[in-house]
Amino acid sequence: MRVGLSPVFAATVCALMFSATARAEDPIQIGASLPLTGTAAFFGQHSRWGAELAVAEANAAGGVLGRQIALDPQDNRCNPTEAVKSVSQMLSDKKDVAILDGLCSSAILAMMPLVERAEVPLVVANGTATAIVDKSGAGGNKWVFKVNPSDGSLADALVGYLVEHEKDKAAKIAVLGEDTDFGRGGAQALDAALGKFGMKLASSDFYQQGTPDFTAVFTKLRSEKPSMIAVYAVGADVQNIARQYVSFGVGIPFTGRLLTDLVPPEIMASGALDGSVVAQAYAPEVDTPANHAFVDAFTKKFGKPPNLLSREGYEAACVVIDAIKRAGQADPAAIRDALEKTDLTSILGAQIKFDDHHLAHDYAVILTVKGGKVVIAALNKT
Amino acid sequence: MSARAGHILAGAGALAVLATLPLWGGTPYGLELGITAATFTVLSTGLNLVYGYTGLLSFAQVAFFGIGGYTSALLSHDAGWPVFAGALVGGVLALLLGLVIGYTSLRLSRHAFAIVSLSFALLCLIISRDWVSLTRGPMGVPGLIAPTLQLPGLGRIGFDRPAVFYWLMLSYAVLVVAATHRLVRSRIGRAFIAIKLNQPLAESQGIDPLRHRLLAIGVSALTSGIAGGFYVFHLTIVDPSIFDFYYTETMLIMVIVGGPGSFWGVVVASLAFTAIPDMLRFSHDLRMVLYGAILIGAMLAFPRGVGGWAAQRRLVRLRRPILA
Amino acid sequence: MDFATLLQLLINGLVLGVIYALIAIGLALIFGVIEIVNFAHGELYMLGAVAAYFLTMNLGIGFWASIALVTIGAFGVGIVLYELLLAPLAGQGFERSILLTLGLSMVLQNGAMFLLTSTPRLETTPYSYRFLVLGDARVPLLRLFALILALVAFGAVYVTLHHTRTGKAMRGVAQNRAAALMVGIDPRAAARLAVAIGVGLSGLAGAALAPVYSVHPVMGFAFVFKAFAVIIIGGLGNILGAAISAVSLGIVESIAGGFLPPAFVDAIAFIAMILILLLRPQGLFGRGVRV
Repeated sequence: MRVGLSPVFAATVCALMFSATARAEDPIQIGASLPLTGTAAFFGQHSRWGAELAVAEANAAGGVLGRQIALDPQDNRCNPTEAVKSVSQMLSDKKDVAILDGLCSSAILAMMPLVERAEVPLVVANGTATAIVDKSGAGGNKWVFKVNPSDGSLADALVGYLVEHEKDKAAKIAVLGEDTDFGRGGAQALDAALGKFGMKLASSDFYQQGTPDFTAVFTKLRSEKPSMIAVYAVGADVQNIARQYVSFGVGIPFTGRLLTDLVPPEIMASGALDGSVVAQAYAPEVDTPANHAFVDAFTKKFGKPPNLLSREGYEAACVVIDAIKRAGQADPAAIRDALEKTDLTSILGAQIKFDDHHLAHDYAVILTVKGGKVVIAALNKT
Repeated sequence: MSARAGHILAGAGALAVLATLPLWGGTPYGLELGITAATFTVLSTGLNLVYGYTGLLSFAQVAFFGIGGYTSALLSHDAGWPVFAGALVGGVLALLLGLVIGYTSLRLSRHAFAIVSLSFALLCLIISRDWVSLTRGPMGVPGLIAPTLQLPGLGRIGFDRPAVFYWLMLSYAVLVVAATHRLVRSRIGRAFIAIKLNQPLAESQGIDPLRHRLLAIGVSALTSGIAGGFYVFHLTIVDPSIFDFYYTETMLIMVIVGGPGSFWGVVVASLAFTAIPDMLRFSHDLRMVLYGAILIGAMLAFPRGVGGWAAQRRLVRLRRPILA
Repeated sequence: MDFATLLQLLINGLVLGVIYALIAIGLALIFGVIEIVNFAHGELYMLGAVAAYFLTMNLGIGFWASIALVTIGAFGVGIVLYELLLAPLAGQGFERSILLTLGLSMVLQNGAMFLLTSTPRLETTPYSYRFLVLGDARVPLLRLFALILALVAFGAVYVTLHHTRTGKAMRGVAQNRAAALMVGIDPRAAARLAVAIGVGLSGLAGAALAPVYSVHPVMGFAFVFKAFAVIIIGGLGNILGAAISAVSLGIVESIAGGFLPPAFVDAIAFIAMILILLLRPQGLFGRGVRV
């Protein structure tokens, strides 16, 4: 027993000393649970960079409430078990006044009961599952807020644009998506959006994340001749899809949520993707002064252009920092109340206000590819 | 004081420390580590039974865990079953599937069992993702509600409270550890070891290796399946990442460092390897690099782990007077 | 389904199958000679691809030169791997060798993730986006090269096993270790060469495919588990069996992929393996190194 208790005693003493020395000048800490390892690490890293940029900008402007802000990023491997562990750690330390992102929907869904119990706000930047919004705000969990549009609103914006401009192309869309909540959720939402116009998806194919070879499915699609291929893919898969698409001369325009910035530039420039129409929550090409400033600052700081995830991480961190400022104190409950009254202009130019389900309604960016270049076709309110 | 009394006292002391965790280390994170440690103790004790005692390298432990988790989640969420019944059914289903893969592959060889158990785990992952009408696919089954018990005199006990769930998982782990300990110290356990050390000799003594190995696989599948059946109600969601290969790697590290076939070595390693890397806030990448290096080092220098090494030392000490 | 589509699927499947074979043959050879299932095989393939990527994209070395350099380098890595890690384990049990190579794969994969991050990379060569037209079917040039390189490699392995002293020794050790020892074969030299050839083949596969598939730390994962299934289906340690099973699997997957969802296609290898174990446990072609 003596062996078992002495470290505990030591830890308690340490904890007491720490809390005694905590001063007002200590930074205000914001947690972030993200996949920093595993297959989704690339995205977690971008979301983290976005949040880091927001924090650095706020600190350069003199901090908040006279204090600096610190980000506390923790790995969750995109896995609910690890997400619960990382968030419990943040909640136990009692230093984080708010928690960012989660990134993967299943990780976020597992984190939600924890923040509700501990009464610390969680601001979701990237998860897209509709279940998150269903359970938030009026859905019961008053501590969860979601900045990015959900699958459904993006799909509605995409189909709305297609029906208005190229109706024949919407008639026979085939899905090629990764076998994750991103792919399956995106396909479901697209099917539902088409349903509102009396149409439906022609076919759906889901592949395991990390599958290198798409030749069979492209050969099949080439013979079935859908009007468009809706792609829901991320990371290395986008490169494999783009390259094999060109190598096998598939020649059917893309739609869905193809991440155009991950397509190798020589493929984009060759014009092979011309005629594609995709919907995203963000594109670096959007022409607003705020976005230009963001893209420049991000590229300067990290040596890489921002993508969808870096921007959502940035936006969510900005929302939290703004809420701390308005709350006037670094207290989770006060920050939550301030979050409900958020009224910010996003870098795309939309008003960020949370509805009764704590969902913000930013723009959906409709991108088209013309002459080997990505063109912003429309900014639609979601 | 005899050595046996000393062991019992040490065990009781350790148990008292663990049982009172919510009182002295009851932060959400402390409890989370406690729950994870209890869960991994069940899983690695099961793996130790199969690998350490009967010599079969199994990659299917994580599959049994996931099968239990999915079964109890779906039975409770879709069919309205009570959680405890669902977890039990999940364990039994894992047991049956364990017997199937064990029987089919062991007819060929130990080698085939290793590879088939690996493929089985991968197949479970694929099924959990793609049999969408049953498993909800990659979206998983969110919103699982932890059970509540109505106990006379104690009122309602809600397992959604981490401390209460910790006690549930701890009691279950203690039960599994005790039962497994009884098994490996029994006649059957000695037969396990005999098969591992010298199969032809064991067979000549009338021990049926297939039946004993199937028993070990079945017991470990049952205990892991039930653990999964409980655990998902703590997470409140089950999704295909429950079959992550990373858990297999973690379990193997616990068994290898603790010492395959060394009962208490593995139990201690399970606790240590849950708590230490997390407390040191190792990045996962570096942690896995380190785990890999430990595996390589252990295989080259300490094939029987720390527990095996300690046992060896004891044997040397016992033999000394005779040799002198 | 029209003929052109079927032809295209068949050609794709053949190329894919030969790629599987490049990886599976090395595994089968190493298993056949030293009874070690090399769990790090996929990571060695990844290292080959990463090395080829940096040679071509950062040092400006040509595509063909990069393949030659990486293959020779991988051969050397195989010798070092054998001498440092596998030789001390000789005859010490199958499970220990799995755990050791699993540890190696964890070090390599997570080490690569730490050093290179998970950012996907794409090697570009002058042959990218060029293809051969066969009727209505297309064969991208780089896939054709991978096919030819693989066939050359198989030829070289065949010649080594049948017409060199050490190669014959390797077959001898695989068929009967005790007898091989008795007639004076040095099992260590045979084992060293087997590992070197096996790793060399995975390096060749990595270098040849670096411009075909995206290069990233977990790229080995997709192929290696299928390669395990392939060597069981072909008969553990049977090299020709592994090659035939690999090519068949590629073709079956490709044709099935023309009708079925991709997720089912991924399950084919595992289901086939379990069926083989039930119906013909020694594998389709029986045990032993036969080429």
